Amino acid sequence: MKCRVCRGPAVIDIRRHNANFCEPHFLRYCRQQVERAISEHRMVEPGEKLLVAVSGGKDSLAVWDLLVEIGFQADGLYVGLGIGEYSDISGDHVRRFAQERDLNLIEVDLLSTYQYDIPTAAAKTRRVPCSACGLSKRHIFDSATLDGDYDALVTGHNLDDEAAVLYGNVMRWQTQYLGRQQPMLPAENGFPRKVKPLVKLTERETAAYCVIKGIDYLVEECPMAAGNKHLGYKEALNDLERQSPGTKADFYVSFLKHAAHRFVDEDDAKADMGTCNSCGSPASGETCAFCRLVETAAGTPGIKPEPIPVETPGALR
Amino acid sequence: MSVAKLLNQLDLNRESVLVIRGTTLVPGDATLADSDEIEIRPVISGGGQ
Repeated sequence: MKCRVCRGPAVIDIRRHNANFCEPHFLRYCRQQVERAISEHRMVEPGEKLLVAVSGGKDSLAVWDLLVEIGFQADGLYVGLGIGEYSDISGDHVRRFAQERDLNLIEVDLLSTYQYDIPTAAAKTRRVPCSACGLSKRHIFDSATLDGDYDALVTGHNLDDEAAVLYGNVMRWQTQYLGRQQPMLPAENGFPRKVKPLVKLTERETAAYCVIKGIDYLVEECPMAAGNKHLGYKEALNDLERQSPGTKADFYVSFLKHAAHRFVDEDDAKADMGTCNSCGSPASGETCAFCRLVETAAGTPGIKPEPIPVETPGALR
Repeated sequence: MSVAKLLNQLDLNRESVLVIRGTTLVPGDATLADSDEIEIRPVISGGGQ
């Protein structure tokens, strides 16, 4: 197998592009895919200040690495979820990554800041763990982006993530979600701009990027995510991809091109939203969903903590 | 035996794993020696959004 670019020995095949790459040209391919995604979807402009939500997994560390390499000022935000040893190890991976590259890392620990952890929140609110986790992270990501005066929040969602979410939403025709499944959501109604620069890369490719770059990411899956629907959708799509390479990307890219505009973002109703009495975030009622979760999980009102300080390199290690 | 053949025998989808020898990726058409030690690393991860 030879590299499509230099004809040297290839280390990876990308069947949907009918292409093989050696290490240097695969890294260049990844960088180009990210630059194209940023450009096509007008995600960010040169010179903007970015906050990258990092978990210690391959995708978030890869996107942080790629954005810094492209030349963006990008800080990291890690949320300690309190999921036992998994959280301890994931935090170690993130801190080591930031330290080795002299990057700014902001940390928010759920237990010490809000007096609850994800297992407790899931049990007390009777939500599935991924739901309690997602709600918590979204609130903290939004708050930190706004408090830190960042231009955009970056997440490591990749092509597989987006295709799997689309698959799940289409299977149930959840039109309220289809209307807002975009690689870039502009800042509006009290929410920051959110961007997904990895939407042109599969997770096999982000994992390969990390292996080649020597990025030491957490390989193990979150123990609370095991068996969730999202993982099942990914497996189903990969079965299709095995038989017909390119199907996964076509499904997602064609949705963006031909169908996404047909669905109304029902979150446009947020234009009429007020603010949460407890934390000041956008809310449809008197109290936002996050503060209600905090109150149930921790037994304390969900008050807004002090703005998260942006530390200079090395200060948080 | 090639990597692709090994993955087929193990009923593993090539879209869902990477094969790594030492610190290097091993492509699907590479031939594995009996003495090779490899890691078959799953790449699917994540909860919902």
